[in-house]
Amino acid sequence: MTRKMVLADTSKCTGCKACTVACKEWNQLPAEKTQLVKSYQSMRTFTPDTWSFVTFDENYSISQMHWLMRKAQCFHCADPACLKACTSKAISKTESGYVVIDKDLCIGCGYCAENCPFGVPKVDDQQKKAFKCTGCIDRVENNLKPMCVQTCQTGALEFGERDNLMVKAKKRLAEVKGKYPKAVLYGEKEMGGMTHSYILLDSPEAYGLPSHPVAPLALTLWKDIIRPVGTVAMGGAAAAVVFGILGNALRGNYGPPESGKGGKE
Amino acid sequence: MTNSWTDLQNSRCFLIAGSNCAENHPIAMRWINRARDKGAKIIVVDPRFTRTASQADIFAQIRPGTDIAYLGAIIRHILVNKLYDKDYVLNYTNALYKVSKDYKFDAGLFSGFDAKGKKYSIDSWGYQLGPDNKPLKADSLEDPDTVFAKLQEHFSRYTFDKAEKITGIPAAKIKEIADTFCQAKPATILYALGMTQHTTAVQGIRSYAIIQLLLGNVGKAGGGINALRGEPNVQGSTDMANLFNSLPGYLPAPIGTDKTLRDYLVRNGSIQEKPLVALLKAWFGQSATKENDYCFNYLPKYNLSINASMVRIFDLMNKGQFKLLINIGSNSLVSIPNRQMVRSGLAKLDMLVVSDLFEIETAQFWREPGVNPAEIKTEVILLPAAFVYEKDGSLTNSGRWIQWKDAALKPLGESKPDLEVLDSLFRRVRQLYQGSTDPKDEPVLKARWDYGQEPSALKVLQEISGYDETTGKLLPTLADYLKAPAGSVSTGCWIYTGVTGNGNLAAKRKNGDPSGLGLFKDWSFAWPANIRILYNRASCDANGQPVDPERKLVWWDPAARVWSGNDGPDVVDKTKGPETPEGKLSFRMNPEGVGRLFAAKYTSGMPAAPPVDNLPAIGLRPAGLCVDGPLPEFYEPVESPTGNLLHSEVSSNPLVVIPATVPGIQKVGKPGDFPYVLTTYGVVEQFCAGGVTRNIPVLNELMPGPFAEISKNLAQKIGAQDGDTVEVASARGKLRVRCLVTDRLQTYKVNGKDTETIGIPWGWGFASLSPGPGANELTIGVLDPGAGTPEYKACLVNIRRV
Repeated sequence: MTRKMVLADTSKCTGCKACTVACKEWNQLPAEKTQLVKSYQSMRTFTPDTWSFVTFDENYSISQMHWLMRKAQCFHCADPACLKACTSKAISKTESGYVVIDKDLCIGCGYCAENCPFGVPKVDDQQKKAFKCTGCIDRVENNLKPMCVQTCQTGALEFGERDNLMVKAKKRLAEVKGKYPKAVLYGEKEMGGMTHSYILLDSPEAYGLPSHPVAPLALTLWKDIIRPVGTVAMGGAAAAVVFGILGNALRGNYGPPESGKGGKE
Repeated sequence: MTNSWTDLQNSRCFLIAGSNCAENHPIAMRWINRARDKGAKIIVVDPRFTRTASQADIFAQIRPGTDIAYLGAIIRHILVNKLYDKDYVLNYTNALYKVSKDYKFDAGLFSGFDAKGKKYSIDSWGYQLGPDNKPLKADSLEDPDTVFAKLQEHFSRYTFDKAEKITGIPAAKIKEIADTFCQAKPATILYALGMTQHTTAVQGIRSYAIIQLLLGNVGKAGGGINALRGEPNVQGSTDMANLFNSLPGYLPAPIGTDKTLRDYLVRNGSIQEKPLVALLKAWFGQSATKENDYCFNYLPKYNLSINASMVRIFDLMNKGQFKLLINIGSNSLVSIPNRQMVRSGLAKLDMLVVSDLFEIETAQFWREPGVNPAEIKTEVILLPAAFVYEKDGSLTNSGRWIQWKDAALKPLGESKPDLEVLDSLFRRVRQLYQGSTDPKDEPVLKARWDYGQEPSALKVLQEISGYDETTGKLLPTLADYLKAPAGSVSTGCWIYTGVTGNGNLAAKRKNGDPSGLGLFKDWSFAWPANIRILYNRASCDANGQPVDPERKLVWWDPAARVWSGNDGPDVVDKTKGPETPEGKLSFRMNPEGVGRLFAAKYTSGMPAAPPVDNLPAIGLRPAGLCVDGPLPEFYEPVESPTGNLLHSEVSSNPLVVIPATVPGIQKVGKPGDFPYVLTTYGVVEQFCAGGVTRNIPVLNELMPGPFAEISKNLAQKIGAQDGDTVEVASARGKLRVRCLVTDRLQTYKVNGKDTETIGIPWGWGFASLSPGPGANELTIGVLDPGAGTPEYKACLVNIRRV
């Protein structure tokens, strides 16, 4: 299957949250007790039962109001930090561009959650498994649109071939910049290129997103440099423990922006 | 809607004012976005920066209830700068008609005001008539007697500066809105309850009509005045006479003095004879004959002096006027303003029957916290209702599309579709009356009521669509109904005629759109006669050819000598060309056949000489009237932080209805005690009064409870931070709720004085999985004198941090 993409054109999003209801329904996720966090936003961060929510940010300056709404979910990075961090080979990438967790292999160690620069995966303490948006891979591989896209009323979400949609996204960005000079395309190159990419109306920071997301330095060190050596020296499991501790100690430069405390809820 | 949802894609400019469609009609955005992709501009005027405003090119924050002030300024701008479509105004409106010399407007009052009766005698609002009883027309717009001259004079007071002082919108921004809207053609106006839930509701929409007629935007693809209707079937329910003063198909309901059909026709014109007789035939079948006046005396008659709308019902309930209330599809205790009045009214009933999916607040009013059930004698019965997906039937959307759906699921447990409930209720009542010879019981005994042993919704729709009563066959089309003599056909709602005439057209689902204009003529059936864009004759010039080459709706085909087109032509007679009198008429439902800039008193077809039998004459078609004036005038809401800048002696609508049968039930607050303006609204995550959605956990997760939105200035003033609990109080009640501090509400100036608006959503109550206080604890139940809509959108409150 070719590389897919969901383009979220936030200039067309009205924050109706229908996408998130559809997500819960398709994935049979239970509802949670919430209260408003800020503006009309009712979820502070992802949880094992909430893989998608809409963020609301109010930017007011010079008599001009910008109400920024963004559907948040796993970006499905081409170079995913969670995959690198996974100690049990539970996380893999599909040809179509999705990053999926194999529940049978997942041991709930939480390294994926700790290392995702966006704070996406969350570990359920009871089940000892990590959860996040699957990209509706079960639908996509059966030639259906992801449920959020299927439900979007305003045309803000679009699904298609990444190559085609990226061309469209750039064209749309040029149009949107007329009204929103700070608009950016987010996801073309970030984290190696994201399957869920965005036209944002303001800087990524205005949405609480890192401008230049990268995997934590410690993770990169461990995974790409130290571990290949270490695995030979002392066996995989021990290496994971040692360098996992090291990784968490060094962590801090890239705290998950949408969560005060990363990892387990 | 004059147009339809799918037609929004054709517009080049949207004035969305009085509608938060992204919130309350999310599907609208799909079609609006298609227009935006082609460069359309969006203007949003709202008391708050809403989800819809987030999509706008121009946003203006307005003080609630002051719309007519800035719309008047736009009308003045159009007139002064000659921005109107001259051909359209001359040919398709009553601009040239001469108004009675007795017509006047002075110091906030139109001529004919009766201060004691709080009403107008409207004879002076007529035209100057010729000897043939037809209106006199001037030769030019310069004539001082014309409607056009009256318009100029009336709106000359509405300058941008004056509008700024009243509305709080900067004058420059109003001008920007006016210029943007006037320059783009076609341009459309979208509105909903933000415009209608005021004591100036009807006149606000009249302002829209005037703007759109002056600009030549009515009858055109991408134009029109589009009322976005609420619940999926609000359009259908008003079509079917959910309003107290109408019968199905918008026939006027008979009043107490209409003793005979003839009396009714004297008031309402001979044009109403056929639809009313057809309705009586549908309801009483063979029992309705010419000899017995088609059972006209069976119809209930209402009292003109009582505005018997929703709020009034609960007001009168407090007086003990009702013994029984059957409450279906409404969570009245949450949705009616000044809900203390609703609660005390329900306690006066002998019996309350509620049919709903859940035990909504209305059904358990007797155990609301703070209420002592021992003191309430009302017997309450809750019937389990089937959900929308559990019943067959049709829903009519805002674009007048009658759309059929089959039941997808079997009703849960013992729940029943409304039709089944009402059918069995009626049949049992009829059984109880069997054998009665009392004339008052005749309507029950003689009603034609046969929808099958298990009542079929299709049979109901067929009755609505109509039968040839001589053959018992379904009437194929509206044309067949129009051709038939009165009394030989039946229709349960004449505008729906033909919906099941050639099969169930409401169930048609062909998605083709050959014109590309979003007409979708083979998708369902639009009333009347599958016309998708009303008044579309006005999209053509005097020769019957489309003015807009990109958006051709209909045209006169001179070779075939017939009106044809992409849409069904909205003309009197398809074979009457543009050179004939009938072929010129673009607004055939008005007695003048043209659009009414000035809502004059007029009846067409009045005989020049009185009838020989000395009975009162019957005209053909009387004009629709606005009880509070032939032109819109700005009046302050009943509760307002300021006086009326245009006429201080007449501040609010002089005809306003204040239902307060029981003294003290409708308290009115003063700005000294309640300095802030409250406006109320819904949120997309919860639906209407929340009877269903507040019992759905996944929706409660999205919007867990109500809140009071306040500006940062007001928050600072009362020492509150986002998330704190605040108490909001009006003269009628108070509530405690989480406060949401936001830049989406800004402090604004009204006549130089800093003013604040507070926003609270209304759809919460004490029951359900997500209980919470609703804004109708605070709102005021004062009514528009014409439509009876309550002023939900503007009242006065105070606020403090708890």
